[in-house]
Amino acid sequence: MAESIGTANVEGEVIDLDHLVVMANQIGDFFASYPPERAREGLRNHLRTYWDPRMRTALLEHIDAGGDGLQERVIEAARLLRDRESDKSGYYGPPKA
Amino acid sequence: MPNPRKPEKETITICPYCGVGCGFKAETIGNEIVRMTPWKEGKSNHGHSCVKGRFAYDYYRHPDRVKTPMIRKSIDDPWQEVTWDEAFSYAASELKRVQATYGRGSVGGVSSSRCTNEEIFLTQKFVRAVLGNNNIDNCARICHSPTQFGLTATVGAGAASQHFDSILQADVIMVVGANPTEGHPVFGSMMKRRIREGAKLIVIDPRRTETVDSAHCHADIHLSLLPGTNVAVLNSLAHVIVRENLHKPEFIKARCEWQEFEHWAELVGSDEYAPETVGPIAGLDPEDIRRAARLYASGPNSTVYYGLGVTEHSQGSTGVMCLGNLGLACGMYGREGVGVNPLRGQGNVQGGSCLGSWPHVFSGYRFVTDKATRSSFEAEWGVTLDGEPGLRLPNMFDAALTDHFKGMYIMGEDPVQSDPNQNHIISALKKMECVIVHDIFENETSKYAHVFLPGSSSMEKDGSFTNAERRLGRVRKVVEPLAGYQDWEVTVKLMNAMGYDVHYNHAGEVLDELARLSPAYGGASFELLDRVGSAQWPVNKDAPEGTEVLHMEKFPRANGLGTFMLTGFVPTRERVTEQFPLLLTTGRILSQYNVGTQTRRTANSMWHAEDVLEMSLGDMQTRGLRDGDWVKVTSRFGATQLRVKESVRVNPGVIYTTFHHAESKANAVTSDLSDWATNCPEYKVTAVEVSKVTTDNRPRTDTAQQRPQHEERREPELAEAEG
Repeated sequence: MAESIGTANVEGEVIDLDHLVVMANQIGDFFASYPPERAREGLRNHLRTYWDPRMRTALLEHIDAGGDGLQERVIEAARLLRDRESDKSGYYGPPKA
Repeated sequence: MPNPRKPEKETITICPYCGVGCGFKAETIGNEIVRMTPWKEGKSNHGHSCVKGRFAYDYYRHPDRVKTPMIRKSIDDPWQEVTWDEAFSYAASELKRVQATYGRGSVGGVSSSRCTNEEIFLTQKFVRAVLGNNNIDNCARICHSPTQFGLTATVGAGAASQHFDSILQADVIMVVGANPTEGHPVFGSMMKRRIREGAKLIVIDPRRTETVDSAHCHADIHLSLLPGTNVAVLNSLAHVIVRENLHKPEFIKARCEWQEFEHWAELVGSDEYAPETVGPIAGLDPEDIRRAARLYASGPNSTVYYGLGVTEHSQGSTGVMCLGNLGLACGMYGREGVGVNPLRGQGNVQGGSCLGSWPHVFSGYRFVTDKATRSSFEAEWGVTLDGEPGLRLPNMFDAALTDHFKGMYIMGEDPVQSDPNQNHIISALKKMECVIVHDIFENETSKYAHVFLPGSSSMEKDGSFTNAERRLGRVRKVVEPLAGYQDWEVTVKLMNAMGYDVHYNHAGEVLDELARLSPAYGGASFELLDRVGSAQWPVNKDAPEGTEVLHMEKFPRANGLGTFMLTGFVPTRERVTEQFPLLLTTGRILSQYNVGTQTRRTANSMWHAEDVLEMSLGDMQTRGLRDGDWVKVTSRFGATQLRVKESVRVNPGVIYTTFHHAESKANAVTSDLSDWATNCPEYKVTAVEVSKVTTDNRPRTDTAQQRPQHEERREPELAEAEG
């Protein structure tokens, strides 16, 4: 079902890329208080449970293109989104690492 | 004024205004309301009321009410009045056309906290089951979404832990970013009563609000912090508590995740959050921070009430977490007189939150990504549901600007006036092809709409509201709906027109359905509410008449324990510069309500005919301003004009206005920054400059200043990264 949700016949990112980068880095700023592994997991969980898949896809494509402007911890965490092993159910509260 | 005429009938219902949700007796002659009197049995108001609920009801029959559906092909065309059937059929065909052209995810909806639980539930059902995606949001997005996020993270429930009466057991009351004497007056009066009985009051707010200083209300400690420094200051309170061993280890060990507490104590206990470090950042005397921390921790019963001054920041969710952390650390949970409690702006913000009008969760805050939850809805609704989170309200507008979002059902909301960065919203709406506005009046947003469905006021429908203390009460139809249908009926007919077969005989059947699908509402029904008056959730088989105080024995998290979130302070990127040296913050006044759609159409406007800009004398003098001058307020995002008033309530460098009048256009200047977790807009901090307007010919807004989002911010950001 998920594959058909995308916006047919419309090119480009769903949200202005600069805006997306700002949003992703803000999430990165929050999780910066956590140790690196937990920060990555917290970011992954947040992006997975709160971001529209088109926003996640745009972020991942931007990372593939170099990830200009993104914090390193955001880049590392977003890569976890591709890992099926990490595709666990969403949760509230502290990052479970 | 003549004596009130003798009413023929009384109907018990709920006030349409703030989150206190006062019970009222609506007295009618025929189909006309002649008087609203506060209901003595109302459990949130005990027979009290304020000047909004008591007097501001006449809007329901204001000549501006729209009574006939309208459609138009283009927003440049005049409206064409049509029958209901024609409107439904046009709206449905347009939504289908847009989805066929641009994809299933190119449309969505937003519901309002002015609507009933039943209507909010049906709006999400419309989007999820009929439009087939999760692009559904509600107006709590722009006020209390951080509450849901921050409180759920720490204590497992995104709602007030207490009932209002609990404050009568409090010894220390800490009000953060709220002004209950104005915004939530009936609760404010109860708070004043407790203060007269000797409770101590701490207020954390940039402005010397009426709660800080007015009749029967004087704060023992007022931390008049700089807008945008909440998290630093709350962490500093925690610093003092941890460093001076004022926390309650026995409570934390018994009720919380101890290891997370230790991580938190290490963070807030670091020198970074010492009052001597934070004081200068926040414009506070370090000793005042210490005094506030000691007073809060000393209790024995300390309670927190907070509002949008906490949530509407780029660290809004973090601010809410700070309050949850503080309550847990000091053992201020699990009995009367304590707790952490959001004060909700609208009558049904809590219901709006609970009932699944969110892109990521179904009713009961259960993730759409969770297969088991999804299956329970699929079984009830008979369709396959999308398992991915949808777009949030601000992201819908963002996606409209990139041509990915083209159609929207807007129930009881006015994003052009309510949402931040007005120019951005207008540009987004202009790019959409099917905007359906469902409201009682034409509003700023309907200027950009293609279908207008006339709504019913809360006097004209049946349903329920959930107030700020989780209290579920009955909204009862007092007069007949002016345009013929109650709002929930309109949503159902729109679903039918789209080809989805569903029918309810009355609103109570919608409540029955949502009760089956929302654990905390499991025992709710019209029958129960008619019998007991009102009930606080959770209302279920363990608590058949509801629950006054949450978290008595355990927290509703998987392991039953409360937890601590690490809340590092990240300063907002909205900051003063040479060009924009003042910080603008906003708030509300007693006699008016939010953007004023209702109250401005009543005699209450005599008390507050216009929004004014409060400014300190020093800031006025350096700009050559006098009381009553018209001034232009300019930010990076736009400009507006207001009349300036000298005020001792604001500190130098900070200015303040209310946002009750459309022509004030406060949101022409607010920024596009938002909370990191929820995208709740940062309304409370905007860097501006103020200058005198010399000509009498005052253009009200300056749309020429419009610019793409983030354009000017990128440079400083890169500079910071490099530095």
